[in-house]
Amino acid sequence: MLIFAVRRLLAAIPTLLVVTLLVFSLVRLLPGDPARLQLGEEATPQALTELRHQMGLDRPVAVQYVNWLADLGHLNLGRSLQDHTSVAGLIGQKLPTTFELAVLSLLLAVALALPAGIASAVRPGSWIDRLVTLLALSGISLPSFFLGILLVYVFSVNLAWIPASGYVDLQENPGLNLKLMLLPAVTLGIGSAAVLTRFLRSSLLEVLNQDYVRTARAKGVAGRLVIAKHALRNALIPVVTVLGLQLGGLLGGAVVTEQIFSVPGFGRLLVDAVFTRDLPVIQGMVLTSAALVFLVSFLIDLAYGAIDPRVRYA
Amino acid sequence: MTRMLLSISLMLALTTAAAETLTVGLDADPPRLDPALSTAFVDRQVMNQIFDKLVDVNEQLKIVPMVAKSWKVTNGGLTYTFKLNTGIKFTDGTPLDAAAVKYSIERNMTLEGSARKGELASVKDVSAPDASTVVITLKAPYGPLLAVLSDRAGMIVSPTAAKKAGADFANSPVGSGPFSFVSRKRQDNVTLKANASYWRGKAKLDTLVYRPFPDGDVRVANLLSGAVQIITPVDPKDIATIKKNTKLDATTYQGLGFQGVWMNVTRPPFNNKQVRQAFSQTLDREAINKVVFLNTVKPAGGPFPPGTPAYSPAIKVQNADVAAAQKKLAQAGKSNVSFTLLTSPGAVNAQLAQLYQAMASQAGFNVKIETVEFGTLLDRADKRNYDAVMLGWSGRPDPDGNIYDFFHTGGVNNQAGYANPAIDTLLEKARAQNAMSARVATYNVALGKILDDAPYAFTYFSSNTIGASKALSGVPLVPDGILRFYTADLK
Repeated sequence: MLIFAVRRLLAAIPTLLVVTLLVFSLVRLLPGDPARLQLGEEATPQALTELRHQMGLDRPVAVQYVNWLADLGHLNLGRSLQDHTSVAGLIGQKLPTTFELAVLSLLLAVALALPAGIASAVRPGSWIDRLVTLLALSGISLPSFFLGILLVYVFSVNLAWIPASGYVDLQENPGLNLKLMLLPAVTLGIGSAAVLTRFLRSSLLEVLNQDYVRTARAKGVAGRLVIAKHALRNALIPVVTVLGLQLGGLLGGAVVTEQIFSVPGFGRLLVDAVFTRDLPVIQGMVLTSAALVFLVSFLIDLAYGAIDPRVRYA
Repeated sequence: MTRMLLSISLMLALTTAAAETLTVGLDADPPRLDPALSTAFVDRQVMNQIFDKLVDVNEQLKIVPMVAKSWKVTNGGLTYTFKLNTGIKFTDGTPLDAAAVKYSIERNMTLEGSARKGELASVKDVSAPDASTVVITLKAPYGPLLAVLSDRAGMIVSPTAAKKAGADFANSPVGSGPFSFVSRKRQDNVTLKANASYWRGKAKLDTLVYRPFPDGDVRVANLLSGAVQIITPVDPKDIATIKKNTKLDATTYQGLGFQGVWMNVTRPPFNNKQVRQAFSQTLDREAINKVVFLNTVKPAGGPFPPGTPAYSPAIKVQNADVAAAQKKLAQAGKSNVSFTLLTSPGAVNAQLAQLYQAMASQAGFNVKIETVEFGTLLDRADKRNYDAVMLGWSGRPDPDGNIYDFFHTGGVNNQAGYANPAIDTLLEKARAQNAMSARVATYNVALGKILDDAPYAFTYFSSNTIGASKALSGVPLVPDGILRFYTADLK
């Protein structure tokens, strides 16, 4: 297991190098000059030249890439072109917020999907199954920008239960933090819950038809126990895969949700950076995302081992 | 009894006054809170509370005293002598004297990457003969100087703090204004607190929080839910929603900017003057105001909005005349002109582009709309890689700022590539004149020719709209769109 883990981690290094090259070139293919965008209405030719020099954009692209890589070697992601703050610092400031949002919505998704998926698989074709299917399909098809604005209008504007936006750190005021994170987490979580429910249902249905389940039942194991102990465990393997993919998706989905609820997280920073052509910030963020997706899939691999011992010995 | 009631209400007044926090919703995150480096409009919203300026503009766009209590213009418009108020201190304790003013203006003129260099290009020298006198000497007379000093170029920074912070000053700005900088969390908030020892007396608000909401619907939702007490700008479609709420009000007031369409004069089809005139003539500016802006803007005939110093009734708003436009096209030997109209995303832009398209098609124009993201639009406009592009201007208090760089040959905002030596001479002349009446006369001559050449189809003058809680009072509505919170009160 340890050797497997170390090998997987080492294999990530060349992958991430390829990612750096891709990110660096793609970001430079974006039309629009960062200096021109920043100067906007006050762009005199002299100011443009000076700002390009300040931003280091007048150096050859290859030199810029090598410098960036060298900085990366020292874990230095560079500085924002907008306000000159450190990119690593910015990411460090934003990532916990988005991570909290992703974890909350994932917890919510699992809390909804587990009972719904089981209920629906145990009695396929029943009214519960049909209701769950209907809800799940609506959840999958509802775009988060629509759901988000809907929630704001219902719960913040009309009922005035929860402020429409705002953010406080978890450490600073946990109660208020959770209250403010509730609507964004629901917005993000509904889609995942729907997908997870569908996966759990089909995977559980398949497992319930297996011989060992029938054997367990024949041996007189109680119905609930069969599902909880024998069927669910096996049915969860494909679901965990999807869960991992969802976590990656949540980081991306957060872009829209954070915009609606003004959550100062990773997604909003990325949108801002793209609009202002803040190249070092975009590069640093894409690279961080790549590293995170890798980390998540690595953890998922480890989780397989925990759920299904056969994977460990393979 | 009366006395008791009085003391109770006094107590209540004191307790509410104890923690007045105003939260302001803006449409963008202010990127650079340094007067020299700032290039975004939202920066000015925040910096106007942190920094005092040499002079300010009021609701009527008159230049009024601020740090400078009086000034004299001598030597044929070449020498400006300012007398300063005394006893002012920056929030870090440094005294604000003539030396600090000299330092700030010179910093704006010389700092690497300073965006103020263009505005201060006419300045030859700044001197401080004594602690309360500043003398600015110009290379050539430049009428707009005071207006320029009423904005970022005239903001006075603490020399001690600026020298110490270097390039990081934008992240820890220190001025002498009614509020001082506390903290900033990108994409979340900028927090200021009242400057307790402000030289004009402490502000009524204690804390001022700016929060960015790039999406207009989200901005309004936050105002409606009470999370913020004032927002700017407000989309025209949201004005009715705000007014329906009994606790809120929306106010539309005079702006300084203009909007319209550049026509690329360096390539077909708009290298033909008659084709340009024809397109401009198809636009029904009154209909645009009604349909897109629900009567909140004014149709534009030129670059100077009504109510600003250079506005002249002699410059008329063009009426839509499809028959005349068709005739112009026929004279140009064309019956069917195709072109691509470049615009950037947004509900208002999309609506406008479609209206332009429909109006122009009546005279035989075949318009294709191309929507690109704003960075790309600027890039293509600069490189003159477009037929027609929707690009406007936020406006400046002095008329020079609304015309010179747009129609002067090689001007930084002259994206059409328009070049006319006669216009260049007139614009240079207007800039060197000091009396506004003389300048307006010169502008009118220039505008007559510019409108005939039609490199730009002026369509409307943008206005400013704020949505705010009725509990908020004392915010002067200056046409520059910047909200000044020194006198604001939240009851």
